[in-house]
Amino acid sequence: MTQGFSRLVFWLVCGGLFTACQKSSQTGDTQEFAFVTNGVASFWDIAKVGAEKAGTDLGVKVSVLMPASGVVDQKQMIEDMVIRGIDGMAVSPIDPENQLEVLNKAAASSKLITVDADAPKAKRLMYLGMDNYQAGRMAGQLVKEALPQGGSIAIFVGRIEQDNARLRRQGLIDELLDRSADATRFDDPGTVIKGERYTILGTLLDQFDRAKAKTYVEDTLTRNPDVGCMVGLFAYNPPIILEALGRMNQLGKVKVVAFDEADETLEGVTAGHVHGTVVQNPYEYGYQSIKLLKSIASGDQSVIPASGFIDIPARLIRRDNVEDYRKDLKAKLGQ
Amino acid sequence: MMKKTLGIFVVFVLICLLTAALSDVFLRPQNVENLIMRIGLYGIMAIGVSFVIMTGGIDLSLGSMVCLTGCGLPWLLVKVGWSPPWALLVLLLVVLGLGWTHGWMITRWHLQPFIVTLCGLLIYRGVMRGLAADQSLGFGTAYDGLRWIATGKIPLGSLPIALPMPFVWLVIVALLAFGFLRYTVWGQHLLALGYNEEAAKNSGIRTNRLIVASYMICAFLAGFAGLLFSMDVNSAQPSDFGNFYELYAIAAAVLGGCSLRGGQGAVLGVLIGTALMQVLRNMIVLVFPAQQNMEFAIIGFVILLGVLGDEWFKRYFAKRS
Repeated sequence: MTQGFSRLVFWLVCGGLFTACQKSSQTGDTQEFAFVTNGVASFWDIAKVGAEKAGTDLGVKVSVLMPASGVVDQKQMIEDMVIRGIDGMAVSPIDPENQLEVLNKAAASSKLITVDADAPKAKRLMYLGMDNYQAGRMAGQLVKEALPQGGSIAIFVGRIEQDNARLRRQGLIDELLDRSADATRFDDPGTVIKGERYTILGTLLDQFDRAKAKTYVEDTLTRNPDVGCMVGLFAYNPPIILEALGRMNQLGKVKVVAFDEADETLEGVTAGHVHGTVVQNPYEYGYQSIKLLKSIASGDQSVIPASGFIDIPARLIRRDNVEDYRKDLKAKLGQ
Repeated sequence: MMKKTLGIFVVFVLICLLTAALSDVFLRPQNVENLIMRIGLYGIMAIGVSFVIMTGGIDLSLGSMVCLTGCGLPWLLVKVGWSPPWALLVLLLVVLGLGWTHGWMITRWHLQPFIVTLCGLLIYRGVMRGLAADQSLGFGTAYDGLRWIATGKIPLGSLPIALPMPFVWLVIVALLAFGFLRYTVWGQHLLALGYNEEAAKNSGIRTNRLIVASYMICAFLAGFAGLLFSMDVNSAQPSDFGNFYELYAIAAAVLGGCSLRGGQGAVLGVLIGTALMQVLRNMIVLVFPAQQNMEFAIIGFVILLGVLGDEWFKRYFAKRS
């Protein structure tokens, strides 16, 4: 008798828990979306503002997640979001080639789009971002403006495994060597690449360690005192290049071409120490991702273009337009 | 002491000669100055951790201490708006307090140093990331006066190089450490305690106090190095600033003759160990830039060589005497 009773209680509790779970996952009709970045950076802070703004405009819940320790961290975040039963997510994959499994898992149970860096082999619905290869070629044009007579160039970036780093770098090199557009080309980071007018001395990979990044700039100057231009491909690289050049009294002597909009980079453009910077539009990345996800999750597939790519083109910021750009940026960040 | 550091010194000289032979810019004044600067920054941490290693303990929280002060300083100055003396004082007191806590937990509660400082590694970085909301931090163009502590240089008369401030700090720290270990009774007690804690205790040495003090010294120096690092680079990101630096410091200390079993240590050796690591990194960029992805492998290999050489010398001298 008692055994039968406890069994009854057990099943009642189980049933209760089950319905409670069912309920909690359905509470409210607010859709929930996630925006997963590829790391922690001020660049993503701007995207966050955009994504959260879209959230309030559209009345949906938005979580912005920034993995701090690389690909393992990002995988766990995506998995956790899948478990949470989210309606859709935008991910900037750190290593698109090798993250197929987790990306496809996310795509299977939710709506997945990629942002900033694409993972063409994954079952993502679309990619929203900048054509990084074209942006690299734009940076190449800046180098050509800065060094019209030709010269040698050193490239600094955190990691080359990321598609955006690889493509920016390749676009830059191809532009400087006046090659045809082919985003699949790959030059080895360690070898010196000699073109007619421009020589690429090498690409230094600091793995996001800033102290190391600075030593690489110093060592490059030591090894090649006649280096003409340094190009920083990730947002934190140009400020470190400027810091090292400043300390070695080389500001203005060695040209700098930058990516993104770190404060120091923009100040450098104003001061004339940075010839120009190629900026993306992280605010729009955030805003458009959530807007597109909301449409897709509500059943509107027409927002997905046939090419699977929505281009949010890069812009060139030089001394003549840097002030306007800064004002606009500050307004968006509400500063 | 000479015997102990001889092996590593020979490796250091060989690597320097090799690099100078392979690269004509290695001995340029600017490069030497850069190297001296880096030795200063990393050496301060290494001397700190060697105190803990001498007692037979370990401090894994060093990189996070670097993060705590390195990110804490720009955060307090730029975001919170404190004045520099106040911020420096509070940060150094905080790290001293954390070092005291490590030592207290290890001596009073007999917790494993590995566990206590591993938790520290997780906690301090986590707290700093939370406080700074994961934002990139920097001093901007302000505080150039304060940053002189790390970026300043002292000209050396007619010599082509100037002495970077971090190296000046390292010299001060090294002299103090050397004097402490060599000429004070506490220094002798510290080594005795590392060699055999029970015996030291039985001979009336207050071992607990010394252990707590060694963790405080280690935390203080790591925190101080963190301040210098962030003033030097002028950019700090709580999620990765100082990541793995405990391993650089521990490797340099062990290379320099500290035994992880405790009881041994020589300040000069730790300095040579630090210098060797920095010269290796410099060599890879100057001579083998195409192999930069092999950096860790090369450093690991040379450390192993150094330790083996050390062992060989020890046996050689043991046989002769």
